Amino acid sequence: MSGAALSLREVAVPGRLHPVSLELAPGLVVGLAGPNGSGKSTLLAVAAGLSPGAGRGRHDVRWNGDAVAAIPALERGRRAAWAPAEARFEFGFTVRSVVAQGRYAHGDDGAGVDEALARMDLLALADRPVDRLSGGERQRVLLARALATGAPLQLWDEPLAPLDPRHGLEVLALARDHARAGGLVVFSLHDLRLAHGLDRVVLLDRGRLCAAGEPAEVLTAERVRTVFGVDWRIEPGPTLSLP
Amino acid sequence: MSTTRPGSVAGFAGAPLWIACAVLAVLAVASLVVGEVALSPARLWAAVVGRDELAATILWQIRLPRLLVAALVGAGLASSGLVMQAYFRNHLASPGLLGVSSGGAAGAVVAIAAGAASMSLWFVPLAAIAGAFLATAAVLGLARRGAGTERLLLAGVALSALLGAVTSHVLTSHATLYERNGQILFWLLGGLEDRTWEHVVVAAPVVVFAAALWPLGRPMDLLSLGVDEARSLGVDVRRLRWALVALSTVLTALATAVAGTVGFVGLVVPHVLRLLVGPEHRRLVPLSLVGGAAFVVGCDLLGRCAGGVRLGVVTSLVGAPYFLWLLRRAER
Repeated sequence: MSGAALSLREVAVPGRLHPVSLELAPGLVVGLAGPNGSGKSTLLAVAAGLSPGAGRGRHDVRWNGDAVAAIPALERGRRAAWAPAEARFEFGFTVRSVVAQGRYAHGDDGAGVDEALARMDLLALADRPVDRLSGGERQRVLLARALATGAPLQLWDEPLAPLDPRHGLEVLALARDHARAGGLVVFSLHDLRLAHGLDRVVLLDRGRLCAAGEPAEVLTAERVRTVFGVDWRIEPGPTLSLP
Repeated sequence: MSTTRPGSVAGFAGAPLWIACAVLAVLAVASLVVGEVALSPARLWAAVVGRDELAATILWQIRLPRLLVAALVGAGLASSGLVMQAYFRNHLASPGLLGVSSGGAAGAVVAIAAGAASMSLWFVPLAAIAGAFLATAAVLGLARRGAGTERLLLAGVALSALLGAVTSHVLTSHATLYERNGQILFWLLGGLEDRTWEHVVVAAPVVVFAAALWPLGRPMDLLSLGVDEARSLGVDVRRLRWALVALSTVLTALATAVAGTVGFVGLVVPHVLRLLVGPEHRRLVPLSLVGGAAFVVGCDLLGRCAGGVRLGVVTSLVGAPYFLWLLRRAER
C-alpha cells in the first residue's frame, strides 16, 4: 500500500483551528487527542479534503505529496477514507448496501465488502436497515464502509466512543493491521491511556497544535495537567485485551 | 444474495417497474373509456381507425391530450419530489410543500397576465421555470441543506403563502370578472380541464429531464446519507447538487405550467415507492416516473368518476392524510 503520507501546511479554519502544520508518514497509527472543542473533528475533516467552516481559511493538505484540492473527486474516494463521529441515516439502506457505498469510487465493484462486514462483526446485521441500529452498530457500519474503500489513508472521528470493549479493541487491531500493510490511520480519541499505546500522538488544545510525536514525549504529566486539567501517572492496573 | 451489486436482488430488480407500467396502462385505457360520453373499447378502436367521427373527436381532441398531460405532470412531480427528498435528506421535502410549485404557478400567471402567452408557446413554461427557480433559491437560502423538518416546512409554508398571494393578486387585477374565479382556482388548486396538444408539447420535456436523472441514481444514494460522507467517498458533490436542483426545479415548473399547483404528488409517490422497493435510487428514479404518471392519471380518473372533482382536490384528499400520518411517524 502506498500513498498514505499526510501533510498539512499551515491549515487553518476561522474560529476553529489556528494554523496547524503536521507531517505524518505511512505505517503509523496516530491518535488525535484534545479536550472537547479543541478542533479534532475539524482537523480530521480538513485532512480528508472536506471543507469545514464553509471552505473559509487555508486548506493546504497533501496526500503523499499531491495537493488534495487538485485531486479529482473520484480519485479522492480511492485515496482517503473518512468516518464521521456519528451518522444520521435518514433512509433505510441495508447495512450491506451502506458498506458497499465504500466501493463507489471503484465503480461499485463490491470488492472487499464481505471482508469489511466480517471484520466489523456485521455479517449477522448485513440485511438490517441502518436506521434501526444502535449507536455502536452504526459506528461499526461507518468504519466498515471506510475500510471497504481500501484507501491507504484512514481518518476516523472518535471511532471508539460508542463501542463496547471488544469492538473497541477490534478497531485498534484493525488500525494496527492497516498500518502494518503500509497505510496511515489517524483517529481522534478521548482515552489518553489508549493514546499512550499508539505510534504517535497529536495533541490539540483550543484550536492549536500543542504537541506531536511519540506518546511518551507528548503525554507528559505537566502537559496533561495543563491541557486536560487531570493528573497523569503511570502505574500497573487492570488491562483488557482480545483473547 | 450476490454481494457485488448492492440493492439489485437477483432476478426481481425489474419486477416493480413492470408492475407499475401495467398499472399505468390499465389506468390509461380506463381514463380513455370513462367520461361524459362513455367510449367502449370497441368504440375506441373505431375512433382510432377513423370509423366513428364523434368518438374520434372525443379521443383525439379531449381524452388523449388530457391523459398525456396527466401522465407527464405525475411523472414530473414525482421525480422532482424524489430528488428533493434525497437532496434535503428529508422524507417530507416535496415540490408542493417547499413552495416550488407555487413559484412555478406565480411565474406562469405573471407571464399570462403580461400577455406573453399569445406571443409564444414557450413563454409560459419559461416563466414558470423562472418562478420555480426563484422559489428554490429562496428555500435553499431559508433552510440550509439537510435542514430539519420544521425549518424546511415552515420555509415552504411561508413561501407558498407569499407566492399564492402574488398569483391571486395578478389574477384579480388582470383577468376579466367572468373568468377570474376559474383562473384562480386553476392555478392554486391545479386541474386538467381543457388540456390540448399544446399543453402536451409544453410538458413533453419532462420525459427528457426525468431520464437525465437516471445516471445520477447511484450518487444520489450516497448524497441521501450525508453531504460530507458522499464527498469523502468520491462523489463530486458540488456538481451533483447543481444538477439535482436544476432538474427537480425544471420538472416541477413544467408540470405546474400545464396543470397549476397539484399538491402532494411529489411527496406521496416517492415515499410509497420507497416503502415498497427500498431506498436505492437507481430503482426509484424510473419507478417514480412511471408511478407518478399512474398516480395522477388514477387521481384524475377518480375525480372524473366522482362528477368532476378537480385534480388538485383529489390529490390533496389522498395526500394530506398521508402527509399527516408521515408527520406523526417522523415525530417518534
